[in-house]
Amino acid sequence: MIATSILVLFGIGFTAAVILAAASKVLYVYEDPRIAQVEAVLAGANCGGCGFPGCNAAAVGVVAGKAGSDVCVIGGPAVMANVAKVMGLELTEMEPKLAFVDCTGGERAEDVYLYEGVQDCRAQHQLYKGSKMCPEGCLGFGTCVRACPFDAIRMGPNGYPVVNPERCVACGSCAIVCPRNVISINGFTDDITHLNEINDCLAPCRQRCPGQINIPRYIEQASRGDYAGALETIRERIPMPLSIGRVCPRPCETECRRQHVEAPVGINMIKRYVADWEMNSGQRLPISCKPDNGRKVAIVGGGPAGISCAFYLRRLGYRPTIFELMPKLGGQLRYGIPEYRLPKEVLNWEIQGILDLGIGVRVQIKFGRDFTVKTLAEEGFEATFLAFGAWANAQIPIEGDDARGIASGTEFLTKVGLGVETGIGKKVVVIGGGNTAIDAARTSIRFGADVTMVYRRSRNEMPANDEEIADAEEEGVKYQFLAAPNRFIKDKQGRVTHLEYTQMKLGKPDASGRRRPVPIKGSEHLIECDTVYMAIGQKPEIECLYDTRGGCPLETTRWRTVEANPATLQTAIPNVFVGGDLFTGPDLVITALGAGRKAARSIHQYLTTGHIEVPDNLQRTMIPYTIFKDVERVAPIERTQMPHLHHGEERTCTFVEVEGAISDDEFKKETCRCMRCGLTCYNRTEPLQEEVSETSKNM
Amino acid sequence: MNRLWKEFSKGLWNELPPFKVVLGLCPVLAVTKTADNGFGMGLAVIFVLTLSNMLVSSVRKVIPAKVRIACFIVIAASLVVCVELLMQAFAYPLYQQLGIFVPLIVVNCIILGRAEAFASKNPITYAIADGLGMGIGFAMSLTVLGAIREIFGYGTLFGVQILGSWFKPFTFMVEAPGAFVCLGLGLAGMNALTNWQRRLKGLDAIEGPKHDCASCGMCNIK
Amino acid sequence: MDYFVLIIAAIFVNNIVLAQYLGNCPFIGTSKETGVAMGMGFAVVFVATMAAAITWVVQRFLLVPNDLGYLQTIAFILVIASLVQFVEMFLKKAIPPLYKSLGIFLPLITTNCAVLGIAIICQRKQFSLLETVVFSIASGVGFLLALVVLAAIRERLEMARIPQSIQGTPIALILAGLMSLAFFAFKGMTS
Repeated sequence: MIATSILVLFGIGFTAAVILAAASKVLYVYEDPRIAQVEAVLAGANCGGCGFPGCNAAAVGVVAGKAGSDVCVIGGPAVMANVAKVMGLELTEMEPKLAFVDCTGGERAEDVYLYEGVQDCRAQHQLYKGSKMCPEGCLGFGTCVRACPFDAIRMGPNGYPVVNPERCVACGSCAIVCPRNVISINGFTDDITHLNEINDCLAPCRQRCPGQINIPRYIEQASRGDYAGALETIRERIPMPLSIGRVCPRPCETECRRQHVEAPVGINMIKRYVADWEMNSGQRLPISCKPDNGRKVAIVGGGPAGISCAFYLRRLGYRPTIFELMPKLGGQLRYGIPEYRLPKEVLNWEIQGILDLGIGVRVQIKFGRDFTVKTLAEEGFEATFLAFGAWANAQIPIEGDDARGIASGTEFLTKVGLGVETGIGKKVVVIGGGNTAIDAARTSIRFGADVTMVYRRSRNEMPANDEEIADAEEEGVKYQFLAAPNRFIKDKQGRVTHLEYTQMKLGKPDASGRRRPVPIKGSEHLIECDTVYMAIGQKPEIECLYDTRGGCPLETTRWRTVEANPATLQTAIPNVFVGGDLFTGPDLVITALGAGRKAARSIHQYLTTGHIEVPDNLQRTMIPYTIFKDVERVAPIERTQMPHLHHGEERTCTFVEVEGAISDDEFKKETCRCMRCGLTCYNRTEPLQEEVSETSKNM
Repeated sequence: MNRLWKEFSKGLWNELPPFKVVLGLCPVLAVTKTADNGFGMGLAVIFVLTLSNMLVSSVRKVIPAKVRIACFIVIAASLVVCVELLMQAFAYPLYQQLGIFVPLIVVNCIILGRAEAFASKNPITYAIADGLGMGIGFAMSLTVLGAIREIFGYGTLFGVQILGSWFKPFTFMVEAPGAFVCLGLGLAGMNALTNWQRRLKGLDAIEGPKHDCASCGMCNIK
Repeated sequence: MDYFVLIIAAIFVNNIVLAQYLGNCPFIGTSKETGVAMGMGFAVVFVATMAAAITWVVQRFLLVPNDLGYLQTIAFILVIASLVQFVEMFLKKAIPPLYKSLGIFLPLITTNCAVLGIAIICQRKQFSLLETVVFSIASGVGFLLALVVLAAIRERLEMARIPQSIQGTPIALILAGLMSLAFFAFKGMTS
């Protein structure tokens, strides 16, 4: 009996052992031994902060090459070094990240219903997506505070959480539990490559700004006296606050919620004030950049788009080189915008600061003639950004346009910018109604000429800024509205003597929504002139893209711009990107600066992952529910006026800057006018709670 | 001697199973209908746990790491067979009462958990002390839980009527739901006690022990 | 034997966890998320069925003829441990997706008393092979049902405010008690 039991047990054990031994050979699945080694050195917290479900999965990811040695977010440099050792990897620098709370609403956001249920964000979110009016804002129950394993989040005084950067290890627990995606884990790269998404906390001004600057935040920082912080915020989106502070036509202010109280906040004057503060302090603020990774990118065109792209690529660690046809960088900022609006000294100071970050420059070199996309690739440039602008002038083919004394507005402004002889006469006619036309007219005034502007629609339709139109008028520019040029009359020497135009009247609105001018029969008039500047629009000069056989590898449009994916700015050649006026046609400086950053983001992603990510919730148009007119319970404060430095006669003969800076007191007042809007919330002079309690009392 | 006492006594209170170390729930729930069932099961566990700890510790240096869990199981299984045979011989009514939970001692997390977590790393004397302490602690818990359920469920303790004839038995307690609720409340009471003590010392309250499969050490089977 | 009655009895009336007290460790341990509970539940159904069938064969053709009934426990646990290891290796090689969803629970199953318990119950009730298979599938499904229901309740409870001492395992046990009470209603449906 003992023998049988031993035999049977031995038999079972032996059979099982044999089967298992055979199975382990037959069914052997190779598993990289490094997985176990990597897992052994990871922190072992299974916190999921790395994006993998647990440390084992992270180790598998590292071995499969899906993650670098910096996979562990809480381990710090020691763990990273160990992982790198196991993997035999080069030590990649780990970018510090932090939890970032997007919402600024908190208690300011109105409640749409009274909630007395479980005090938990996720619970409340299940009930009609939370009680707040704002669909993206913080619900304020502090679920993230409870989720944080490191005690790094506290509910702030304003009803939304505040992260303690000393304790936060960016594990992501808070971001996972937040039902509203208010919290994200951001590092330096995310900060400067983020594009507006519809669920970000976007005040109307932020939605409208083509440069996507976080306007409420920098105004808030400026109002606290943290000018350096404000500039840092601005420089997360655009590199040139000094120039933009002077030349921007301020689309943001057209959406400012404050205009429904009295007048929009002077957003740009605040930007200019803090930028001037930096320049006048004589010391440049440090701009953080990642260490040089040695990868070269070519930027063709040294205008705002090119400078912006180079700036962000440099900050992301690349080695950009700008190729510029003109002797100096700046593009339209230098050669299109006159001295009295943007002094060259200011522009030089700003550009020098950007170039000092380590950006290479080659000037007086022409794309298509001296170098091409192909030679750039041969030289080791891994990507190319084309942004050589829109410099060709549109022409209206009318009789006598070959007469001497007729030139384009940009040509004239460029010559002034270069400081060469312009050949301007005494009686100048400027044709056109845009900002370039105004610039040409106001510049001519400063050469002592008698200037008339001829525009074929009325004053209301003029695309130029209202203030500039008024300024020009103040300086003595005469306007001839509803006038369509017919022909030029020239003398025997071939010099223009008169412009003949037909008087028009306004008809029905056309496709652009502007009322179409129709001619009045037999109303031809003559204007005496010896110089005519035509400023009726520009378009890109794209001949340089064509090779000798007339082939062009890039697609172009009928507006002579280059075709590209609008979300990524990538062209038909994957490593060639396009931006600025070359892509959009003539547009604002701020648009070009925004495009430069967008291109830098695309180039960075393309060069690191080979794939450019386009979030499907990108904000493209104004978000309808955030645009409303009933802004209640805000006490009016008068808007500050930009002071003019010179007046009357004195102004018309000097190129010295016209607009001055606002005073310290005015600046303080203006920053206080900002209501720190979120998607739907804004600061009220009287708090929201009072009314709620009153109504409940009445009930 | 000092350390020996420490290893022995920790099972009696500081790491009292299953209240402080949540292990081996099945027998705790199943056999605590009466105090003597609980006590009998406790004795069986003391026997198996002490001997398995002793055996595991004595062969800990001989067994290759890869097959150690299999070896632990075989050791435990052999001991359980011994217990089964002993019970059939000397305590047949109890064996009948405990039913399949006697053979199931093999897979009680507490046996393998202690083998893996303690006995396989410590010398034989400490291993015995640990097994004995944990076993007695477990038996104590089972007996107390069994006593509570028996008093409320039948009005008796160790089979002796202690509540008068006025008492209407509270059958809920001796059925499955009562087992779960009793254990749950017991754990909660233990947590409350711990936190009360901590508060007296001026410390923050802590969460009670979590039941984690990881606490049985078996997840390391590979 | 009526198989329908057998199935109903195994799933509801004598639910393996809530009435028979088997497999409580994984019942409490893996019921924090429904997804995990599903994986564990199916793994138990699968392994319990195979284990019951194989141990039936071992018992019938090896132990009984040799009059070695007292070796049941040790033989069964050996067979089950080997089986689990074999299944793990097999799934890893042959059906990687299934391994990914069930595989991580397999090591937990060796010590799951539900598996050994089902095998032993089948022997004690002297089921035929077919009955054994049907019974073990049904018992496994009962385990799955109880586990998933508990996990769903516990997920909801995540948001509730529970007194500190009762958080975690205590409340899970009390919940299990209430579920068990509910399952009590099935008592007497089958003889």
